[in-house]
Amino acid sequence: MSTDKRFDEYYDRVHLQGGTTCCPGCGGPLLWRMILDAVGSNTVVYGDGPCAMCAIRNIKLPNFSIHFSFAADGATGIVAGLRAKGREDITVVSSAGDGSIGDISLGKVSAAAERNENMIQICVDNEAYMNTGIQKSGLTPFGAWTTTTPRGKEAMKKDIPMIIAAHKPPYVATASVAYPNDLKAKLRKAKEIKGFKYIHTVIPCPTGWRFDPAKAIEVTKLGVDTWVWPLYEIEANILKVNSRSEQKPVREYLDAQGRFRGMSPEQIDFLQGETDTRRKNLLDANGKRLFL
Amino acid sequence: MSSIVRSFRPTVDQKKCVKCGLCQTYCPEGTVILTDEGILFDYRFCKGCGVCANECRVKAIEMVREEG
Amino acid sequence: MSFTRMMEGNEAAAWSAKLSRAEVIPAYPITPQTELISSLASMIADGKMKAEYIKVEGEHTAMAAAIGASVTGARVFTASSSQGILFMEEPFWMPPGMRLPIGMCIVNRSIAPLGTLRPDHMDSMLQRDTGWIQLYCEDSQEVLDTIIMGYRIGEDKRVYLPVATCYDGYFVSATATPTNVPDQSEVDDFLPPYKHEWYSLLPEDFRMHGRETNMAKARYEVQQAQETAKAVIEEVEKDWKKRFGRYYDGMIEEYQCKDADAVLMTMGSMTGTARDVVDEMRANGKKIGLIKLRCFRPFPREELRRIAKKYKAIGVADRNTSFGSAGGGIVATDLARALYDIDERPVIADFHVGLGGTDVTMNQIEYMAKQTLRAAKAGKFKKAVDWVEFHDLGPVM
Repeated sequence: MSTDKRFDEYYDRVHLQGGTTCCPGCGGPLLWRMILDAVGSNTVVYGDGPCAMCAIRNIKLPNFSIHFSFAADGATGIVAGLRAKGREDITVVSSAGDGSIGDISLGKVSAAAERNENMIQICVDNEAYMNTGIQKSGLTPFGAWTTTTPRGKEAMKKDIPMIIAAHKPPYVATASVAYPNDLKAKLRKAKEIKGFKYIHTVIPCPTGWRFDPAKAIEVTKLGVDTWVWPLYEIEANILKVNSRSEQKPVREYLDAQGRFRGMSPEQIDFLQGETDTRRKNLLDANGKRLFL
Repeated sequence: MSSIVRSFRPTVDQKKCVKCGLCQTYCPEGTVILTDEGILFDYRFCKGCGVCANECRVKAIEMVREEG
Repeated sequence: MSFTRMMEGNEAAAWSAKLSRAEVIPAYPITPQTELISSLASMIADGKMKAEYIKVEGEHTAMAAAIGASVTGARVFTASSSQGILFMEEPFWMPPGMRLPIGMCIVNRSIAPLGTLRPDHMDSMLQRDTGWIQLYCEDSQEVLDTIIMGYRIGEDKRVYLPVATCYDGYFVSATATPTNVPDQSEVDDFLPPYKHEWYSLLPEDFRMHGRETNMAKARYEVQQAQETAKAVIEEVEKDWKKRFGRYYDGMIEEYQCKDADAVLMTMGSMTGTARDVVDEMRANGKKIGLIKLRCFRPFPREELRRIAKKYKAIGVADRNTSFGSAGGGIVATDLARALYDIDERPVIADFHVGLGGTDVTMNQIEYMAKQTLRAAKAGKFKKAVDWVEFHDLGPVM
């Protein structure tokens, strides 16, 4: 069989056409391949604007997108429509970027969580409004350069997973494309749960984070291994930490990306301190019901 | 097709390859697959990002300059 | 079983959504629509109606959920007013542009500032550019009939446009009039199940309307659908008349217009009052007629051009404003444009009445009628734009 034909069959099997308009090294299409592998083909995908769109357009399953001010709400309609048609067997995956969920559509996602809509809500977090040219979002981390925070972001990153956890949905998790087995296991688990499931994923953005695309997975792994990006699940309000307790210095993660180049030693110390505290709090609460 | 966009393209030494499949797992575009014929690249859509070469534990994949 | 009883507009609308077998209802309350959606909630909770009722957190979400459900393949019903219509502005453009035949009620309420709960037509008319079909109702019966007809019209594949059934808050929404509720099986006969040929999200049946990349072409197609809708509206209304015995004359109704030189043009609840005034004036020998504009979008240009030569003066009662416009209210402006280039055309004046939901009184209508009769004789109106409320015409609530 020719190489082209082998690949055409592969794209059909993974439900994602190769060759997106995403940047080289973007974690977006990679994330979708992993998601779709885990949830299977009896799925409808609802997406939102910018970066995610470039990958969603290539999905070979029923999908529908509006703009980034429409996180979770179109999906709410889809879930209701499928129920009206007697097709609750179909999994609804709703995805939105950090600009959507973190800023303009935060209320939408909160409401969908409160209504316990039967969908898997994914946050595709590349930590800024990337597709429009790297502007800051509420999920841009402290100290990061963007075109609207040229001296580095002064405010902290919103902790969306914990905000959603405060709504007490059946399942909340963080996941990373650098740890695909963990990510897929979480998607598979979410698929079997009825109600609102929220999975916050980080995807590397070589263009906006300023690093060589070839290092995309390396950088993403460092985010997890330094505990800047801890992996955990909250199932029925009980926390389970998935990250290994060993911690690399945050500095390693910052040095690997151009967007943190402007950070002062004091800011880096501050960030290390914040990360350490958060790590300690998560490990202390491991296995327990959160304070909610 | 994609050679217009690509600066580098991946090539593989099939003898060095240990068939771990990490390149397929981590390729952002899905344009690297491990088959019974070894590692294949879809040059129609590969963007030459270099993740596959970077992640290969045995350095079987090398990025070479695109001709032209 | 068909039955008749006194019913407020909102309740009639709820019955209509039930008879239409709406499958998904994203609902967010806003005065004066609230009883509509709470009636639906009760009906569904009591098992009298089967539908997915989504208690959304805001109107922007209500319309977005409506779009998602419609694309999936479900028949959707929603409703809002005033500030709620404004809040759903962003998604409001999508159903017509995407050709999704969502059905909604706009329970007319004026727009802040000033903050008021009372009706005028600003909230629906500000959406006149979007491509939604807009039908205006005079009473509860018309509301009930129009919502069902709206689905037949919108879901017709020659049209594929969303339909807004508009009726005045309080004056129709909360005023009880005798309303006949037809039998469900007869409505089922009239309105088949919803199936969009271009959209479905079911994996075995996935259809998505192609992404037109040329903006002019995309816009043109929506315009063509509006044009086609005119004939479909007439068709559907005639079918309703045949089956249920009620007819609203299609897009416009000429009332008491026989050998009248002067006619008033009204929309919505004020039409009822205007009928009474016209009857009284006719009894006193004044040859004044009334045109009820039922369909505002598509604007019945051809029909109005055809009948306009019969009249010398048309006094348009505009329950709306368009600041800085070419000449007064929105309906008068549309009418003037429609009639501009015909050989024999009447003079037109624009009467601003009922703004912010003040009562349109019989005195005010009599005043408008007298001005119009005078204009028919004199060949011009005293004023092209007349803010009727500023004249001393007796108490206005």
